[in-house]
Amino acid sequence: MSTLQDKIKEYRQLFTDLASKVKEAKEAEELRQLFLGRKKGHLTLLFEELKNLPLEEKKAAGKALNEFKEEIQKLMTELEQKCQTRKPERLIDDLTQPGRKLYWGSPHPITLFQREIERIFISMGFSVEEGPEIETDYYNFEALNFPPHHPARDSWDTLYINDKLLLRTHTSPVQIRVMEKKKPPIRIIIPGKVFRRETPDPTHLPMFYQVEGLVVDKGITFAHLKGTLEYFIKALFGEKIKLRFRPSFFPFTEPSAEVDIECIVCHGQDPHCRVCGGSGWKEILGAGMVDPQVFKNVNIDPEKYSGWAFGLGIDRMAMFAFQIPEIRYFYENDLRFLRQFNRK
Amino acid sequence: MKISYDWLKEFVDLTISPEELAHCFNQIGLMVESVEKIDGDTVYEIETYANRPDTLGHLGVAREIATLLDLPLKTKNWPLVELSQVTSDFIDIQIMDSQLCPRYCGLVVKGVKVGPSPDWLRKRIEAVGLRPINNVVDVSNYVCFSLGQPIHTFDLNKLGGARIIVRKARKGETIRTLEGSLVELSPEMLVIADETRPVAIAGVIGGEESGITEETSDVFIESANFDPVSIRLTAKKLGLSTDASYRFERGVDINAAPLAATMAASLLCAFGGKVSKGLLDVYPNQKKSRTVPLRLKRIAELLGVEIPAEFVVKTLTGLGLKLKEHKKNVWAVEIPSFRVDLEREADLIEEIARFYGYDKIPSEVTPVKSFELPSDRKREKIWRLKEVLFHHGFDEVINFSFADPEKEKIWQTGRQPIQLQNPISSRSSILRTSLLPGLIENAVWNFNREAEGVHIFEVGNVYFWVEDDVHEENLCLGILTTGLREPQTWNEPKKETDFFILKGAIEDLFCYLGFDSLSFEPVDHPFFESGQALKILLKNDPVGHLGLLKSEIARSYELAKPVFCAEIDLSMLLQRQPKPFSFKPIPKFPGTSRDLSFLVDENICYQEIHRQLQRLNVPYLEGFEIYDRFQGKSIPPGKVSFSVRFFFRHQTRTLQAEEVDRAMLDITSQLKSSLKIQLR
Repeated sequence: MSTLQDKIKEYRQLFTDLASKVKEAKEAEELRQLFLGRKKGHLTLLFEELKNLPLEEKKAAGKALNEFKEEIQKLMTELEQKCQTRKPERLIDDLTQPGRKLYWGSPHPITLFQREIERIFISMGFSVEEGPEIETDYYNFEALNFPPHHPARDSWDTLYINDKLLLRTHTSPVQIRVMEKKKPPIRIIIPGKVFRRETPDPTHLPMFYQVEGLVVDKGITFAHLKGTLEYFIKALFGEKIKLRFRPSFFPFTEPSAEVDIECIVCHGQDPHCRVCGGSGWKEILGAGMVDPQVFKNVNIDPEKYSGWAFGLGIDRMAMFAFQIPEIRYFYENDLRFLRQFNRK
Repeated sequence: MKISYDWLKEFVDLTISPEELAHCFNQIGLMVESVEKIDGDTVYEIETYANRPDTLGHLGVAREIATLLDLPLKTKNWPLVELSQVTSDFIDIQIMDSQLCPRYCGLVVKGVKVGPSPDWLRKRIEAVGLRPINNVVDVSNYVCFSLGQPIHTFDLNKLGGARIIVRKARKGETIRTLEGSLVELSPEMLVIADETRPVAIAGVIGGEESGITEETSDVFIESANFDPVSIRLTAKKLGLSTDASYRFERGVDINAAPLAATMAASLLCAFGGKVSKGLLDVYPNQKKSRTVPLRLKRIAELLGVEIPAEFVVKTLTGLGLKLKEHKKNVWAVEIPSFRVDLEREADLIEEIARFYGYDKIPSEVTPVKSFELPSDRKREKIWRLKEVLFHHGFDEVINFSFADPEKEKIWQTGRQPIQLQNPISSRSSILRTSLLPGLIENAVWNFNREAEGVHIFEVGNVYFWVEDDVHEENLCLGILTTGLREPQTWNEPKKETDFFILKGAIEDLFCYLGFDSLSFEPVDHPFFESGQALKILLKNDPVGHLGLLKSEIARSYELAKPVFCAEIDLSMLLQRQPKPFSFKPIPKFPGTSRDLSFLVDENICYQEIHRQLQRLNVPYLEGFEIYDRFQGKSIPPGKVSFSVRFFFRHQTRTLQAEEVDRAMLDITSQLKSSLKIQLR
């Protein structure tokens, strides 16, 4: 009968033989179970045998067995670490291959630009209002101080549905609808689709998008209009953009203004500039103090309240901002055009 | 309106260069659109406004510049070589409708030698972009572009009965105009007639037969004022816009008529003309001048800047307004007849602001006194919905609201389209009743331009008549997917899109908007192939439909690939309250799962199985996942196999295996009765 020491020697040899064949973590685990398994591991069984030895042998044998266990544990740990690092089938041969991607759809540039404009005004405490696209003559014209048959209507060439209904030529009717319902203070912007009877050309289409703004309160001045629009344009085009206010005419504002911004393409240097025609300025929006007649039409006392309003074409502004040469690109919906705005 | 630098100098001694003048124009709102150098002169194309007819002549523009530069406006005498006869010896003027013709002035000039104009006159006429014709016509144009008062010259000897009658046209009357076309007149149109026939369409255009020719020697000068609306309606109806009608429809100075007649007569004296004595001036109801109050305080209140009273007085006086100070810094301002636009205090304040300079008004922050909560979250929800679709790889498009009635017919949307009275073209003469035709056009457009797949959506209105007089604008979402999908990885092949890509996007969209009561029902719909369409229901209310586009429709657009599309009524959807969000605690105890495979009758659809599984009432059942649907050799005919994984959890302790076993038995027995399942 071999002594415990002999058995340790045999098992050490066995372990060395088996360990040399281990390649995978699974095999290492099997080896660990074989030697260190709680119930039937070789070492567990050897410790069982230790119990039966006479006391004088027990001490020396116990020491040897404990040392052997530590040795096996150490070798096992090393072996397991080696197995973990050695998984040749999981290695990538070319890490420079592209990563996995998802295709994200692109927002329409009008949506993008409109949101940018909305964001600036919302940050100034404005709320967003909307209204119908099919309107009556009253809301689209009369309430906004366009007398019937007045040549001022020529600039708002209209698509009619019948004698009563038309497609709104601007989002201004929403100003009237809001003022009819709500007492000042009013601080709103109105984005939306508008229609004009325009023959299509590179800068005109019978449908486009507008944003209007309206502020009504006690003590509102032209200086407030200037300050707000200057901030807005700088927020959109950058701190350094130059702008100018010049007198104009709109039936629903008095005094009226038009705002030009510096041509961001040629800065007035190119006499044949496609964008500004060499003037160095680009007309960007119309504005003014709400006409007292408009206030009267919605039962707001113009002696007590004053207000300002502005309107701009989103398409035109986006064309200018992104250097888009033709307005029709927006509605052709060519994916090669639309998908560029994914990166905006 | 073209404005000549040299011509302006007839009215004001300009001390500035043509370049500086362009600057001045812009400052006061006479926007210079272009500048041309012609023959040593500088000609500006100036944007004028519908409310400023006074700027449609050089005098009015000169008045603005003189005010800005603080220069006097020059006045000129117009001497006449007079005949011994008075005007009424030659002609009689009768106004039948003084509403439509409030004033009519006339003079006769005899012995005019008609011929080419002298150089100075030709230069003026060319400067404003007209072609010189002969001295008489050129003189009338010169007067018109000087004063903004259109005048007309007749060959006196061709006016029958030596009479001018201003009346409405008679039914069936016609006139051959100076442009040579024969025009049929209608009874609401105002005409200038002689004893027998119309000789001019009042304020619009003269008649050929009574016009000036080389043979003319005696001229009758008409300088009149007409009602703007009447002129506009006539010009519009006839499709004629002339220099005269353009001015009259904007409102010509009622007091310009006498001067214009005299000026024209005086100029004709240079061509041998002798003028009848005494201007005939028929002006039955003299118009009173308007007075508008103005407060200095109000100027500051509206502009946000204190403007000195002296500046106000100087500017308005320069513009020809008369100020009477009632109280300190409160004036009654008398408006001259040439400023038809000045009616209220605000109009005067604009004048002051224009000349003060918009650039000198300070920029201030608009004060906020209160904040408002948004009334609804509609716009946020729409953006959320778009984000879900972007994530699913759909690009956003925007199409015109117009549609081609012929194309829409193919779709049979079942909606009464709204027709436009004056469309741009017959192919865009109605408003769209569905978003899908537009999306299909987009697919075709892109397939024709090398696209291999089109996955797009649009949020926009459709329009239709609900009843005869009641229309509706409905916010809709249209989605379309056709062709190849973008690959997820570069070395993976592109895959064809399918129905479930569309359906998945729609399910996600409802889910992320917080609606969980979504269901589908097979439907027969004119857009879709039979048996290949579903109705979308939210708590039993239809909100839209999706399916495989009918091949006849696809073919009519020459689309060969299968097209899957959907249309959802957003107006309805956005009115609904989604389930309010509430946080649920994260489970503390481990859950467990069990699988069950069973056979059901093949005509029981997935949705029905899902619905029945949702209805299960079993303790600890937390959820389920249907992970397989199979039909094949190993399955008895008429049956379909489903595999479901059930998840169980106890909230306050770990579940015992026996409890889960009992729950599974419970599930099996419930499904046996609801779905008649057979265990596999």
